Amino acid sequence: MRPVLPAHAVELGRIGATEVPFLAQLDVRCDPADAHRLGFPGEPNTVAGDMARGVLWLGPDEWLVVGAPGTEATTTTELHTALAGTHHSIVDVGANRTVIELTGAERHMALATGCSLDLEPAGGWSPGRCAQTLFGRAPVLLQELEAATRVFVRPSFAAYVVERLTAAVAR
Amino acid sequence: MVARRLASGGTWIDRRRPVAFTFDGAELVGFAGDTLASALLANGVTGGFRSPLEGRPRGVLSAGDEEPNAFVEVSSPWFETIVPATMVNLVDHLVATPRAGVGRLPGDEVAPRRATSRHRHVETLVIGAGASGRAAADEAAARGHRVLVVEQRHRLDEAVPDGVATLTSTTALGIYDDGAVVLYQRDGNLDRIWHVRARRVVLATGAHERPIAFAGNDLPGVMLAGAAHTYVERFGVLPGERVAVFSTNHAGHEAAEVLAAAGATIVAVVDPGEGGPATQRLRAAGFPIHAGSVVVATHADERGGVAGVTIAPADGGAGDGEAVRLEADLVAVSGGWNPTVQLGRAIGMGLAYDEAKACFVPDGSGPPWLQVVGAAAGEVPTSMALWSVEAGDDRRKYVELQRDQTVADVTGAVGRGFRSVEHVKRVTYIGTTIDQGRTSGVPTAEITNALLGWGPGAQGPTNARPPYVPVPFSALAGLDTGPVLMDPVRTTPMHASHVARGAVFEDVGQWKRPWFFPVGDEDRHATVNRECLAVRQAAGVLDASTLGKIEVVGPDAGTFLDRMYTNRMSNLAVGSIRYGLMLGLDAMVADDGVAMRLADDRYLVTTTTGGAALVLDRFEEWLQTEWPDLRVFCTSVTEQWAVVAVAGPRARDVLTAAGTDIDLQTFPFMTFRDGWVAGAPARVCRVSFTGELSYEVHVPAWYGAHVWAAVLEAGGPIGLTSYGTEAMHVLRAEKGFVIVGQDTDGTVTAEDLGMGWIVNDTKGDFIGKRSLTRDDTSRADRLQLVGLATDDPGLVLPEGTQVVEAGVPLEPPVPMLGHVTSSYASAALGRSVALALVRAGRARMRAQLAAVVRGQLVAVTVVDPVAYDPEGARRDG
Repeated sequence: MRPVLPAHAVELGRIGATEVPFLAQLDVRCDPADAHRLGFPGEPNTVAGDMARGVLWLGPDEWLVVGAPGTEATTTTELHTALAGTHHSIVDVGANRTVIELTGAERHMALATGCSLDLEPAGGWSPGRCAQTLFGRAPVLLQELEAATRVFVRPSFAAYVVERLTAAVAR
Repeated sequence: MVARRLASGGTWIDRRRPVAFTFDGAELVGFAGDTLASALLANGVTGGFRSPLEGRPRGVLSAGDEEPNAFVEVSSPWFETIVPATMVNLVDHLVATPRAGVGRLPGDEVAPRRATSRHRHVETLVIGAGASGRAAADEAAARGHRVLVVEQRHRLDEAVPDGVATLTSTTALGIYDDGAVVLYQRDGNLDRIWHVRARRVVLATGAHERPIAFAGNDLPGVMLAGAAHTYVERFGVLPGERVAVFSTNHAGHEAAEVLAAAGATIVAVVDPGEGGPATQRLRAAGFPIHAGSVVVATHADERGGVAGVTIAPADGGAGDGEAVRLEADLVAVSGGWNPTVQLGRAIGMGLAYDEAKACFVPDGSGPPWLQVVGAAAGEVPTSMALWSVEAGDDRRKYVELQRDQTVADVTGAVGRGFRSVEHVKRVTYIGTTIDQGRTSGVPTAEITNALLGWGPGAQGPTNARPPYVPVPFSALAGLDTGPVLMDPVRTTPMHASHVARGAVFEDVGQWKRPWFFPVGDEDRHATVNRECLAVRQAAGVLDASTLGKIEVVGPDAGTFLDRMYTNRMSNLAVGSIRYGLMLGLDAMVADDGVAMRLADDRYLVTTTTGGAALVLDRFEEWLQTEWPDLRVFCTSVTEQWAVVAVAGPRARDVLTAAGTDIDLQTFPFMTFRDGWVAGAPARVCRVSFTGELSYEVHVPAWYGAHVWAAVLEAGGPIGLTSYGTEAMHVLRAEKGFVIVGQDTDGTVTAEDLGMGWIVNDTKGDFIGKRSLTRDDTSRADRLQLVGLATDDPGLVLPEGTQVVEAGVPLEPPVPMLGHVTSSYASAALGRSVALALVRAGRARMRAQLAAVVRGQLVAVTVVDPVAYDPEGARRDG
């Protein structure tokens, strides 16, 4: 298994970022009532759970279950069992996005060069929030942690996102 | 005109900090806090500019963004193409050169301006940091709002309240729907575009003073009275020693008092009306008042600047005596005040004529989130309505200084039948200037109204559009420039290997795909031939990761896919694969790919590289809007899977050498198996886009680079060659396989492609089915896909070549029969192959036609599209 951004170590370091590769990621689609039963977040753009297993709200009937690398198979089985008899879909998307984790106080400003969302606490953006949006021209999923922001990005766009963040910080 | 720095005063300048600068080659010194315009006046530079059309001498008219005369190019310490001197903050080593209204694009000697962008969200955005703007900000901040105040000057007159963010040197370019406002911030050599989203926008943009059109009103030394006032107050600069004030409102009279207090001699205060309290106050103070009078002419000195004025009674008025000529070096003019509401007008704010103030004020309409305050809201001095002076030569009464347009030009336009001010603008170019007619708009409208016998305010100034000030394209581009950031370059997990192996890349949408892999100094032709022969004779490997991939899950997945594709997918066995064609509602081919049935309720469908997002959108659109009853979920997995496609008679040996637990011997065509390849979990598909025995190895993307390398290494001894998209195109063209988007163009049906077999009209409805019954889609003379064989086997027809009847005279109009869609040199066949869409093509099989190549007819024969292995004998190795 190979991370997406080993060639960008210098740039990542310069902007206080690291790649968090190989996270287990499952795209779960189901009835909101069933999701509620599982403790999935019902409020748009919020995250339930913890670092061990976070559930990100992606849409009215879509969630991203994120866990430690290697947990996708057991989590899939567990969710299939929990949702047995209901119309649902669980798709392994672990390799479909990598994660760039940004730290540092300037991270929201860097993102704000290319993201039209309100990323200030006064606008409601705080730990426990997530949002699908664009950074520049790349589709990304943002998740706010206690002292970091995770940028979920498709591998093919990852280098672009790092380069654009680097340029943003430089200016 | 004699201008000079006063011994004291100037709220903006810091007299302890001299600033050296260069203007038009002359080395001068000003103070920190000066604008370039105030520093020039302080140095006695009262002219220095020219008009763009007539080349007439011009000087600084204003102290703000309405400046129509004093434009400069800044070449140091950064570059600005053309800006008004009134808006240039004086910095050390500034080098400015006058520009007559037209800028110059820099060459390579100039470092490009840097640019970036920011998004910002606030509850209240205040545009303008004057007293009204500060009050609005104060009130909003007290409510706990996030408040942003923007000020286009480089400094604030007074500090804003705590908790209020400010941006100086920042101009609002435009206000758009729902409180979206675009700002342009100039920060030295860095331009920053702000995209602000505000719940409430407060327009506190003030008002612009209006000049009056009188003969000779364009000479250096004719200045807006408010500007003269500003130069004294903010910059400690006296713009003239002997001043004639010509004013319709009390602001001009106040300027007279300020100028007099600063040491100027007021030679006349010319008031076209009877005069109000301000006139009485000045009369009592001993100012020489000329009530009921107007300035009818200026007189120039040897340098072209103002040396005197002639004052005469206003027409029909009982003015103060006879015409009188006075010496003066400054004419301070105030013709009333226009609220600065261009930004509001562009988003629907209406204007109404205010007779007492002789100007257009906001009429209360416009979006509810937009508020206008202070002078912009119409809190401006009452004024007599005087746009132009009757006496004197109309050809010297300038309405639009930057276009050298006069009362005579407006009269000419109206005389030629133009009545709307919008038309007058377009025939005179008044208002099409850098300042967008800030000083000329209302006078032009009112002079037009008067000429037509209409009353004041019958029509107002032309509409205003963003951007409010010129903005460099480089600022709008922001970070999104250059090969890396202009548009994302998408790469596959195997990209580093492709680069290391010297691949030449092709852009496919945003993807970089290896086009071909030259070895040594091989050219493209030789490379592609080698790659194609390797696939035909041994094996080749292609990075096919960019294929779009969608998982379609749910009990109704089969039913759904039956409706999306022309053929039946619901009866596909688990473990099997079927090719599918997708039509638009117009029955034209839209995309193609394969469907794999992963489980009873689960399919994975592939799309073209370019069609991935469109197909998913189409799936979601139909599911959400037309068939919400279908229990189906779609999930994009394009980048979940890297795809290593091995093709050729020895493909099986390659996979075996790479190591797999899948039994390749009992593995039928159009099925797939899950297992391991080169130590990675894999799904291997027996599909073929080359006609050869092929295995598409799908692995989670993070194994892509490893499996690609392992397959290459294992296949080396077997003769495995990596091949790119060009060889892929040749190989599939040899087999007559179409590429949607190359052999189709949105006007081609499945039947046109000779693929009527894939349209199952017994299975129920599907997208495009109804349109297939239109007369037009069943015409016999539609363009149909055929192969073309050139009589000269070495000739490769250019793609796009027109196909015509053999021997047709090339005299226009030449009846066209169709065109070549794909054309290549086939190494395997030792001749060229071409696919073409030809009118009633299949009925012309074996017919001799001609292709027009560089104006010459070239003989071609219509043949079957499948040129290579028509029996399909090679598919299973």
